[in-house]
Amino acid sequence: MKSEETYNAWKKRKSQIEVSGTFSDKVMSRIYQYERARRRPLFDFQRFVETISAHTFAKGALVAAGAAMGLVRLIFMILVILSRGDING
Amino acid sequence: MTQEAELISQILKGDIESFRLLLERYERPVVRMIRNITNDTESCEDVAQDVFFAAYRKLASFDPARSSFTTWLFTIARNKSLNALKKKRAFSMGKLPEETDLNNPSDSIVRNELFEELDRELRALPSRQKRALILAEFEKLPYEQIAQIEGVKIGTVKSRINRAKEKLRSALSSFCEGNI
Repeated sequence: MKSEETYNAWKKRKSQIEVSGTFSDKVMSRIYQYERARRRPLFDFQRFVETISAHTFAKGALVAAGAAMGLVRLIFMILVILSRGDING
Repeated sequence: MTQEAELISQILKGDIESFRLLLERYERPVVRMIRNITNDTESCEDVAQDVFFAAYRKLASFDPARSSFTTWLFTIARNKSLNALKKKRAFSMGKLPEETDLNNPSDSIVRNELFEELDRELRALPSRQKRALILAEFEKLPYEQIAQIEGVKIGTVKSRINRAKEKLRSALSSFCEGNI
């Protein structure tokens, strides 16, 4: 076999390639995943509500936080009213 | 506007599915180039996946005035191949299905031995010469594009290819002489 012929046959063999049928699907799925993550808003309110509703402890904590805030507000109001009474008196 | 430029513009406007067309057009040359540079048939598709994913993410930075899409994509593939090579130094070239000539088995055996010798010689080439040879001989890229991908002058590319070919030629001759 002549060397030029061998070289060309070798080149032909090296140029053969089989790409798996799922290759493009794998890449596209990675791209879609990336886009979903990129387009997700910084704060997803619906997801927040879903997460809270799914956990009993989180629900309790949210109610407790609401009650604490209400209490703080009530105390603050009372203090404001009392301080006005002092000024007027 | 070329069909490729139109596709790129559609992708950049948010039509993600258009990327599949680019992918289908380039998957074979990119996987082949990576396989030939890294000598790794096992993970060349994984590296190629990284190449296309990176190409998608960086698509907005592609400037058709600076290079063709092929050059741009092959530059990413070249860089990813080099990174893969750095991560994993010792590779074994997976064997392609051997074609056996049933009419003349001895000829077929000699030919396969010659191919293996050429494979060995290709692996032994300095990395730069090997890449230039692969891009020119297997990917059939013009010297200008190879020069852009490698970031060197055309003359350098030509000399790297010539030197690589010379080494393969001399390996082939000495193998033939030794087997006569």
